[in-house]
Amino acid sequence: MPSNITIEQPPAMNSSKAQRASLIRKDPALFSALIAIWLSLAIFIFLPLVRLLAATFIVNGTLSFANLSKILSKAYNVRAFYNSLILAMAVSAAGTLIGYLFALAITRTNWPKPLKWLLSAITILPLISPPFTSSISLTLALGPNGMLLKALGLGQLNFYGFWGTWISETLTYFPVAFMVLTAILTTMDANLDDAALSLGASRWRMFGTVTVPLSMPGIANAILLLFGSSLADFATPLILGGHTFPVLPTQAYLQITGLYDLKGGSGLSFLLLVPALLVYLFQRSLVGKRSYVTITGKTGARSQFSHLPHALEIAVGAVSIFISAFILYLYFIILWGSFVKIWSVNNTFTLDHFIYVFSHGRKAITDTLKIAVVSTVVGSLLAVVIGYVIQRKKFAGRRVLEFSSMLNYALPGTVVGIAYILAFNEKPILLTGTMTILVAAYVFRYYATGIRSVIASLQQVDPALEEASLSLGASSTRTFFNVTVPLIIPAVLAGMRYLFIHCMTAISATIFLVSVRWTLLTTRILESMTELQFSQASAFSIVLIVLVFIADALMLWLMRLSTRKFGTTQETLYDNTGA
Amino acid sequence: MKRSLVVLLLGLIMLPAVLFAQGTLNVYTIMPEKYATEIFAAFTADTGVKVNFIRLSSGEALARIVAEKKNPQVDCLWGGPADTYEAGILEGVFEQYKPKEADAVPVKFKSADSYWIGIGVIPLVFMSNGKFLKDKRINPPTSWEDLLNPAYKGALQMADARTSGTATERIYTLVKIYGEDGAFAYQKKLHHNIQLYTKSGAGGAMPIATGQAGAGVFYIVDALDIQQQGYDVVLSYPKEGVTYGVEAAGILKGAKNLDAAKKLMDWASSKKLGEVMVAKKINYIPTRPDVKVTNPNLDMSKVKLLDADIAWKGKNRQAFIERWVNEVVQQ
Repeated sequence: MPSNITIEQPPAMNSSKAQRASLIRKDPALFSALIAIWLSLAIFIFLPLVRLLAATFIVNGTLSFANLSKILSKAYNVRAFYNSLILAMAVSAAGTLIGYLFALAITRTNWPKPLKWLLSAITILPLISPPFTSSISLTLALGPNGMLLKALGLGQLNFYGFWGTWISETLTYFPVAFMVLTAILTTMDANLDDAALSLGASRWRMFGTVTVPLSMPGIANAILLLFGSSLADFATPLILGGHTFPVLPTQAYLQITGLYDLKGGSGLSFLLLVPALLVYLFQRSLVGKRSYVTITGKTGARSQFSHLPHALEIAVGAVSIFISAFILYLYFIILWGSFVKIWSVNNTFTLDHFIYVFSHGRKAITDTLKIAVVSTVVGSLLAVVIGYVIQRKKFAGRRVLEFSSMLNYALPGTVVGIAYILAFNEKPILLTGTMTILVAAYVFRYYATGIRSVIASLQQVDPALEEASLSLGASSTRTFFNVTVPLIIPAVLAGMRYLFIHCMTAISATIFLVSVRWTLLTTRILESMTELQFSQASAFSIVLIVLVFIADALMLWLMRLSTRKFGTTQETLYDNTGA
Repeated sequence: MKRSLVVLLLGLIMLPAVLFAQGTLNVYTIMPEKYATEIFAAFTADTGVKVNFIRLSSGEALARIVAEKKNPQVDCLWGGPADTYEAGILEGVFEQYKPKEADAVPVKFKSADSYWIGIGVIPLVFMSNGKFLKDKRINPPTSWEDLLNPAYKGALQMADARTSGTATERIYTLVKIYGEDGAFAYQKKLHHNIQLYTKSGAGGAMPIATGQAGAGVFYIVDALDIQQQGYDVVLSYPKEGVTYGVEAAGILKGAKNLDAAKKLMDWASSKKLGEVMVAKKINYIPTRPDVKVTNPNLDMSKVKLLDADIAWKGKNRQAFIERWVNEVVQQ
């Protein structure tokens, strides 16, 4: 007997015990949903984390800092810690700057539409590729004796180490900044531009005193997002870092795979966990305060944004076109490498590598697709339930639930992967070698985007609609399915889209979890690269990019369709890449 | 309705855990995927036993097997240096089994206690880029000391000892030649010429083939593979000598498909394995002396091979790696 008063209920003042008792009585559906949610969070988020902390801090059954102090006593590890922070700062600064220039090019110039379309299409490439794709071709272009260096007559670049890693990560992550900043630049009020200009300000002054200050929340958000992504990235420094530039995620990986020292690896990943959580909390408080201000629809007629000062427009054009051309060049190398017999020795056209990919790699392709589809479905169902409960229901521990459900998302992938082996390798919950562990790793890490977009979307849906349904006699469950779900479908699809992309391209958590029964395309690509099979690595990458592109286009189309059908205008920000 | 949705959700999450495939052989292979694919295809054709496998580096494979000790995910470990197996024996992860034709395999190519059987022998070799040598006007290196020549500055790629068996083999050779302290003193000097320590033993081979790097130290199997693909590379041996890796295979304790695993070991000890490797140009020197090798590059009569006891390798591996990280990489 669901009641129609739960929504209207004022914040509970009574003791939590009484509240719980009343919850069972008043809204049994919510009660059982909460139990199921907390149970799954306990298993897939808290248990691994607790096991990781235990492996780090418990020595011979007692609490001890011996592990951590042993790690910190090694100068190399301390350097890795600083390197991680320095790299993250450099990547977030450069990535945000480039992202901002691209966003200005799209939103504040009167360049021809096709050019703008091309620029934004190119920024999608790094997003739908595995995070290390560009490092293959970047080595060939800018590495020792690189093609581009030779073609331009440049000397050697000190490529392995900071520079290579920095360039590669910046190219990989700037599209995130671009998306965040494009969103904020388009939602600004263009009337402010007019006001500034009509008061006699020059375009430069307007840009400096209106556009930039109003972009600040977006810029800060982008910097933090990129900082977190770079901090967590494991594959790029593994390939390009070399011995001169150790960073924490790769050190943790090497500690485990090379020295089979799970404790040392846990300790190193704990070091990574602290700055990652800080950045996440900082970003949350920043976005939390600001996020809904810009989504309010303006009713008045909008004027056009004024264009950039001329000199700035030229600079923006030069940079964005140069970088786009460079990205295209890098992907062209991969495409070319996948179609020639032996790279740089025998350049005759061949389909052999694709035949190899579709014969020997078929299992990896089908496994990856199966895992991605199952994760996307399970993940978005969970995201809808959790998002709905958090936004629409009142119960004790709501904030804690919101924070906990997104915890894995805030942690670097390597940390999650290591924690998962520690937690699910022994009875009672034995999951290593199964598809479940891979699906769980993806779901509880990447459904966060879904949860957020569901919450954001529900905030725009007037509860009066649901109340109407309830007062007409529908049960709360029926209301949920017949009223709420259709209204938030575009948001759900947006969440699904990113969940699917992540499941297809992420590697840092799952490299520890693949097994003989379940393998992934990304690990096959990394494997081909370490086995000198450049052509096959390229062919695998091309297949992966095409698959993701098709799926992405399909989901975008569905989103548009549903937006038209259900009439909600819903823009969701893509807010983390989580390598 | 929502309750059933919740049950459905949990069910979906738990479902795959109960779906286990049975009746095939599951293997971690340290041997590169491209070789393992061919060899297991021949094994399946001979015995009808299907093989599921995933390729891991030697350190990664051992780490996993030790971590999964209580619930082995695979039945066999295939390929990879025998000292990895010796380290595994100390962890108690291998099962004893004497393959049918083990007596035909020389004593130094198999475990004294039947924990593993040797499936191939691979000495270390220098590989240099032909054009690089010409440009620098130097001859292919014929001594370990040659690699210290400043001409190689920033041009050497070789494997990282933390992840690669090739790298530990290199350290064993150097210890045999220079003694332990001498070996690390040498490597500190060598470090100044290093462009990159690669994660896998073969990782530096392609960069050398394409001219990104000048030279490196590899197992013969990886170096020959590059040469066979048609790249301009020169192979040479140091006059002080090289140790060799014995590639091994063994059954894991608690293997779920024990009979199939034994079949693989029996097959590995027979002449068939060697013949497949020769026919498919997979350049391990077979452990069976009665398999005829056709590739002249695998003729070891002019190469100074240093014997290094595998138990000694296994015992010292960890200490050497730690010393390498602390003294060579972090200097």
